[in-house]
Amino acid sequence: MGYLIDSLRKIGVIFGVFLGGSLVLFTMIRLLEGDPVSLRLKNPDPEMVALERARLGLDDPLPVQYLNYLGGFVTGDWGRSLVTQRPVIEDVASRLTATLELTLAALALGVLYGIPVALLASSGKSWWIRKASHSLGVIGVVIPIFWLGFILIVMGSLWLQVFPTEGRFDFTYDKPQVTGFLLLDVVLTGRLELFGLVLRHLFLPALCLSFYPAAVAVNVIHPRLQDPRVRNLTVSLKARGLSPVRLWVKHLLKLASPPLITALGTNFGALLGGAVLTETVFSWPGMGSYLIDAILEKDLFVIENGFLFVIVMVFSTVSLADSLAHRMDPTLKKEER
Amino acid sequence: MKASRIFDCVLGAVFLWAIIGLFHTPFDPLAQAFTAERLAGPSPEHWLGIDGLGRDLYSRIWLGSGNSISMGLIAMAGNLLLAGALLLVEQRAPGWLSRFILSTVSGWLAIPVLFIALILLIYWEQGPVTLICAVALGNVPFAFRQLRVLWLHQRETLYVQASRVLGSRSWMLFRKTIWPNLQPDVVGLAKLAFSFSVLEISGLAFLGLIGDPDFSELGSILRQNKSYLLADPLQVVWPGVFLSGILLLVQLSRSRTI
Repeated sequence: MGYLIDSLRKIGVIFGVFLGGSLVLFTMIRLLEGDPVSLRLKNPDPEMVALERARLGLDDPLPVQYLNYLGGFVTGDWGRSLVTQRPVIEDVASRLTATLELTLAALALGVLYGIPVALLASSGKSWWIRKASHSLGVIGVVIPIFWLGFILIVMGSLWLQVFPTEGRFDFTYDKPQVTGFLLLDVVLTGRLELFGLVLRHLFLPALCLSFYPAAVAVNVIHPRLQDPRVRNLTVSLKARGLSPVRLWVKHLLKLASPPLITALGTNFGALLGGAVLTETVFSWPGMGSYLIDAILEKDLFVIENGFLFVIVMVFSTVSLADSLAHRMDPTLKKEER
Repeated sequence: MKASRIFDCVLGAVFLWAIIGLFHTPFDPLAQAFTAERLAGPSPEHWLGIDGLGRDLYSRIWLGSGNSISMGLIAMAGNLLLAGALLLVEQRAPGWLSRFILSTVSGWLAIPVLFIALILLIYWEQGPVTLICAVALGNVPFAFRQLRVLWLHQRETLYVQASRVLGSRSWMLFRKTIWPNLQPDVVGLAKLAFSFSVLEISGLAFLGLIGDPDFSELGSILRQNKSYLLADPLQVVWPGVFLSGILLLVQLSRSRTI
């Protein structure tokens, strides 16, 4: 029962974010000086502008416009870009999958090496692994991620000559299109010969971005395993003769996972922010450049719908991670809000 | 002398060096005076070589460091002031308002600074001032939560309670009892906020949101030199080395204060 109420409350929060976010975006754009439509038309003669504004519904009373905007967003009618005249929802779909592919790959990779480093560091055997873990934890505030990307390009593309310098795919081949997640599409269409190609394009950007989640993993797991109660547990489990791997995987990881999941969820927004920078370095065709261009061009419908979607997505992820963590560990105390 | 003290001194020296760069550099950072020697490597005259547009790279980086550091300092100060003011309101406000502030802050925390900057840019001209405001504003929830934890911790300590029992009130209580104990933590927080600000401002500049592409800031220098990555990787390596070096010093001087 408590679970149900909690879920309802979370859905309510997301709905509130949806309303609040849409209202802020809507008001900001309507208060904008200079008409986005007349900026777009080649010869902004007043009659044409008026006609175009009427066609786009920009002359309706504001409450009607706002309701149309909400309704359109929910039903997937996101309008067309004023610049390219392409439907916004199609562009967002193709670019968002690119961004998500990068983000999820980075998340998986970062957790994959972040957790072992944190576990090894807390087992406290060697000095250098503790140093490595500490460095991994602060790398995000010392090395700018965009510079790291260039260093990776210099090493991986110029020196090793294994990885391509930019992009998602080599366009001399036919691009498989099923879900938009290229790695998955290659498998689904059975063209496994392209798997290596896609992976080589993905590897450097994902490695670059993976330092964010790896830092989160280290910063969450390490202090938790330093907790005196956990240390006592470790000693007693070792005394029972458990092998280190079994100890780590079956016991310690289980203890550290719920807070890790919450932290990764909370940092999802930051990860997307990092993804925008990484995308720019590697010319990855994701949401980053799309939203930046939309802002600079004052591309009305792209801003309204694209940003709203990203904001709702971020908040849904946060609360999804939170629920998951609470399911895994019901004793998890509600973080002070 | 503690290790962090030494790093504090080195950091101070680097800041001084960077501020000098705002007023004096060996060559004009904007003059394309050496177009004949474009992408020439380091030489005794041009320590880091010439960039792709025929400008002395060291001069650009020197001015860029000055700009990055001063913008970071302004953003950090603004950020802490805003967060402090918000904390003051939250502590004095009636229950419902304080709950509202707390839940708004925890939602705000989930939105990356980059998006806040982009949303501000719908309105404002691109430029250094907009970026400083965006970063100062974007980091408010982080600084607010940190300050609040420190504040609540201090308020509950025995010496503060004792001082209160002895009759000291508001400002004097804060000035004489709380602040001396709060100060080291706030300084540590300020250093972290400075690191965030510098990173975010240069990140935004790297995305091209600082307006003038020739503006000397480490992030925008990196963006401009990006086109020479394959021809001369050092053009991209150097600005980042300076940026990371500054941030590393901040981190080292911070490591024992918090």
